[in-house]
Amino acid sequence: MTLRCRIPLGRYWALLARYLRPRLGWVGALAVLLFCAVGLQLVSPQIMRRFIDGAGDTSVPLEELLVIALVFVGVALARQILDLSSTYAGRRLAWQATNELREDLTLHCLCLDMSFHNEHTPGQMIERIDGDVAGLASFLSRFVLLAIGNLTMLTGTLIVFTVEDWRLGVIMAVYAALTLLALSRQQQVALPYWLSARAAAADLFGFLAERLSGTVDIRALGAVPHVMRRLYHFTGQRLAREQKASLVNMRFGLILMGSYAIGQVLVVAAGYYLFGEAGVTLGTVAMLVYYLDLLHRPLTQLTQQMEEFEQAGASLGRVTELLQERSVIRTADPTSLPGGSLTLQLSGVCFAYGEDPVLEDLSFDVQAGRVLGLLGRTGSGKTTITRLLSRLYDPQQGFVRLGGVELTRLEPEALRSRISVVSQNAQLLSGTVRDSLTLFDPTHPDSTIMDVIRDVGMGAWFDGLPAGLDTRLEGDGGGLSAGQAQLLTLARAFLADPGLVILDEASSRLDPATEARIEHAVDRLLRGRTGIVIAHRLTTVQRVDDILILEDGRVEEWGSRAALASDPSSRFAGLLKTGLEGVLK
Amino acid sequence: MRTWWAILAVIRYRPGLYLLNIAGMIVYSLGVQVPGLALREFFDLLSGAAVVRVGLLGILTMLCVGGIGRGLSLYMARRSLMPFHFSAAALLQKNMLAHILSLPGADALPSSPGEAISRFRSDVPGLHGICIDYANVVRAVLSSAVALTIMAGINWPITLFALLPMVAVYTVAHFAQRRIEGYRRASREAEGSVTGFLGEVFDAVQSIKVASAERRVVAHFGSLNQARGRAALRDGMFESFLQSVVDNTSHLATGFVLIMAGRAIRHESFTVGDLALFTYYLGFVTDLPRHVGKTIARYRQTGVSVRRMTELMPGAPAEALVEHGPIYEKGDAPRVPLVPKGSADRLLEFRAEGLTYHYPGSDRGIEDIDLRMPAGSFTVITGRVGCGKTTLVKVLLGLLPKEAGEQCWNGELIRDPARFLVPPRCAFTAQIPSLFSESLCDNILMGLPESELDLDGAIRCAVMERDLVELEAGLDTIIGPKGVKLSGGQQQRAAAARMFVRDPELLVFDDLSSALDVETEQMLWQRLFARRRSTCLVVSHRRPALRRADHILILRDGRVAAQGKLDELLDTSEEMRRLWRAEK
Repeated sequence: MTLRCRIPLGRYWALLARYLRPRLGWVGALAVLLFCAVGLQLVSPQIMRRFIDGAGDTSVPLEELLVIALVFVGVALARQILDLSSTYAGRRLAWQATNELREDLTLHCLCLDMSFHNEHTPGQMIERIDGDVAGLASFLSRFVLLAIGNLTMLTGTLIVFTVEDWRLGVIMAVYAALTLLALSRQQQVALPYWLSARAAAADLFGFLAERLSGTVDIRALGAVPHVMRRLYHFTGQRLAREQKASLVNMRFGLILMGSYAIGQVLVVAAGYYLFGEAGVTLGTVAMLVYYLDLLHRPLTQLTQQMEEFEQAGASLGRVTELLQERSVIRTADPTSLPGGSLTLQLSGVCFAYGEDPVLEDLSFDVQAGRVLGLLGRTGSGKTTITRLLSRLYDPQQGFVRLGGVELTRLEPEALRSRISVVSQNAQLLSGTVRDSLTLFDPTHPDSTIMDVIRDVGMGAWFDGLPAGLDTRLEGDGGGLSAGQAQLLTLARAFLADPGLVILDEASSRLDPATEARIEHAVDRLLRGRTGIVIAHRLTTVQRVDDILILEDGRVEEWGSRAALASDPSSRFAGLLKTGLEGVLK
Repeated sequence: MRTWWAILAVIRYRPGLYLLNIAGMIVYSLGVQVPGLALREFFDLLSGAAVVRVGLLGILTMLCVGGIGRGLSLYMARRSLMPFHFSAAALLQKNMLAHILSLPGADALPSSPGEAISRFRSDVPGLHGICIDYANVVRAVLSSAVALTIMAGINWPITLFALLPMVAVYTVAHFAQRRIEGYRRASREAEGSVTGFLGEVFDAVQSIKVASAERRVVAHFGSLNQARGRAALRDGMFESFLQSVVDNTSHLATGFVLIMAGRAIRHESFTVGDLALFTYYLGFVTDLPRHVGKTIARYRQTGVSVRRMTELMPGAPAEALVEHGPIYEKGDAPRVPLVPKGSADRLLEFRAEGLTYHYPGSDRGIEDIDLRMPAGSFTVITGRVGCGKTTLVKVLLGLLPKEAGEQCWNGELIRDPARFLVPPRCAFTAQIPSLFSESLCDNILMGLPESELDLDGAIRCAVMERDLVELEAGLDTIIGPKGVKLSGGQQQRAAAARMFVRDPELLVFDDLSSALDVETEQMLWQRLFARRRSTCLVVSHRRPALRRADHILILRDGRVAAQGKLDELLDTSEEMRRLWRAEK
């Protein structure tokens, strides 16, 4: 098991400050409620003493005893109300603060590089954003206040003991200190076990989420027994780790019980002595026994809080780990893009995802308003180029200029608002048709959205929707065929007004007839704009101005389409020939 | 399924652990009572109210013994607690996943995978958690019965009077709990929409980034979060309300004892020692309504959870959720054996007749489709976007439940196509294949023993051998969630290799070449035809495939518009000519 380094306290404070500052009113209310409750608890044993002493003293009238009893009942009722109000305030605060944290984390993660997302399944992300943050809920909302309240209670009871007899005060102080020490030592031991139990849960749910999205393949390949076997591995691992964590954690309970028994022995012995030797009243002895409970309650609660702190520490560690992930995409000396269509220039670009270079010393340019067709084997680096253009990655060497501006001087958001990328994988979110198309951008009028849907040839489909743009699409474009989903993502590009359009196998899932039908719409999208059309099919590049063939990350051939097509020695002409002659004999 | 039945079944899954837990808790609750008796002796000793029964030393011994007993029984209870919880959780998760994987693969979930995960994660603990709640009730019944007997023996009128606040609290709780169910369902649904949305967002992260939609997506997430916060607050407050009311009831009850105690002490029918014992014991007595109240509330919440879990298991008998079976918690699950190809598995002829399916609530689908494939034949399904090609393939393979029609293997009716049309008889590569975040090798093998298979041959046939050299760790490369570290074409070819390695009689692939370049595609077709030992059913509109086809099926609006060989179709079918012309 890996022992993670402990989280510095400053990090906890930073978290509290960040998420509680906007809610100081609620925090204040919660503080008042908690402290009133502590005060009332400290008062109860005093009332009990007066009652017992009064009951033993026949000069005290019975009516007075009744009044004391009623005061006791009143205090109990007041505590009840305080408790309920503070629970409500605490939970409300917790939800507000954690939801804000969830949103911040989501945004942070969305802004991270693709290399991060390629390592993490959506199931893991759910667990890390929703599950880990839930582990911080009570820490965020009332941890500090409760701790202060508990310490106040602890000090209060020790003062009472000291007032009765200073020696008793010292003994009880030492007793409380030793108990706390034993408990906090235990706490050091337990943290890594919690971390590992949390990680096992994340693994399990990550596994499940992926398999639940892959039911078609699992069934069709008869891999059900294999998947079940993997499930047993993950559930078994979780069981083992939770068991370990729980056994380590149980030592807290054992220490507490032992200490309570010792405390009772101490107080009873001291009470016996004080009653006989120092002449304190019976009520006072009873009061001391009740104060032992009050001394022990904050000790118990402080331990529970330590446990909570550990769990919160485990969660915070994982949240912090996530927050410390940084995008390597940096923008220096930011500037903005000129309007209209944009010239594109790549010069000496080298790029590798890991060690093996994908693009090597790549240079080419596309004049404003021209369309480049990019051809090449799968894995030759075509899609990588589109990723560099939208700054999902930055090149390791060389530069990319758009509209004469080097990309490293453009904030990714500003850049992406001027380019449209339609990729082969249609990714739709569940939600209304409107939200799927605009990705929650409210600025597009409905009429525009409907026009665009018709432009991409989905008019008939749209007319069949029960609630028009408000019809809900389930995730993964459920109910849509892959081709239809691709057409909808194409529609997204039409909604933007980009200076550069990249079509990355945008029609790969379309049949030729449909592709032909939307041809003029695509032409209109490209008209007056700089474009890159990536294709493995030659029909797709019929309308482009220039052709670039990529081989192993290098330019193999580059020139105007007409010129290459008419040069029989060119690779492009060769491809045209294979394409026309067909592959089979 | 009745909720109580499910709870019983879960308890019966690991009865030994459960009984051990109850036994530990009972010993614990009895041990806790000893110090109360000791305190009574102590105060009676001091006030001289009664004859000395045990003396100071006896009192101190009682206190110590009580402490040790509690520690031991806690250990016993805890030791069995987590194994009980997590084996029950594993059983439920196993049953749910097993059933989901027995449903038609393309129609297995009622909602998004992220939403389904919330049922695996948040509804499962509800069911095994309440079993332990019941154990707590048993314990509380016993300990409060003992406590009440002792208290009533001392002074029964005061005991009865002290119970009044508890009766009041219990009544309030009883009336309030009607709302629990609605609150719980609302809060679970809100959670499901939050996790479901998160899952989709991280699935579609690239689209969101290139569209610069990060902030807008998070804003939408914020509104889902808010709704969930409200629902969860309502749902959780009730439980806290109950908890805090009952926690404080013992103080209230102590107050009630005081009201009666003054007069009784004066009349010497009650001592200060008795008062100490009453105050101490009232804590246990109020434990009972607390656990009962909590468990009643939880019972309703569990009902919601059980329903939500069984919703993932449509068509299963209700008991399937809690059906007992091994969970192999010690990592001792048997390896998956390679099913050898028997002579009956050899394909002579595949036939489908009258296949019909419509997507629920729509008229989209396929209608009355016939298909015949002799051994070794190559059949192509083609047509425009949305004409039902993928649907046909999925219905044929049983990945979608057909409304009518039948499939026959060598003339024999296939009763359960989804179970029958799997390797070694049949394998399928989807249009967008699902790969998993494991090594490339594990993705291809999916648990099959490598030594008994022709892995290299499958990789070659899928034209993947060049990619292996380029990947950082070759076959051992971890390919990331959904295989994102591979290019689109590599994903498709990895899925093809996964199919080839199973050496099926019937190969079905949906649009295999959609992400392949011309040359790779050419190579793939060549190698596939060179194999020639399988029968192929392919969704494609690519010329090489159409030209090679022994039979072409053109679909239009879910029906067969035309069929035959390419040359005939080019003569007779306008639709074929359009598709053919456009594809050049």
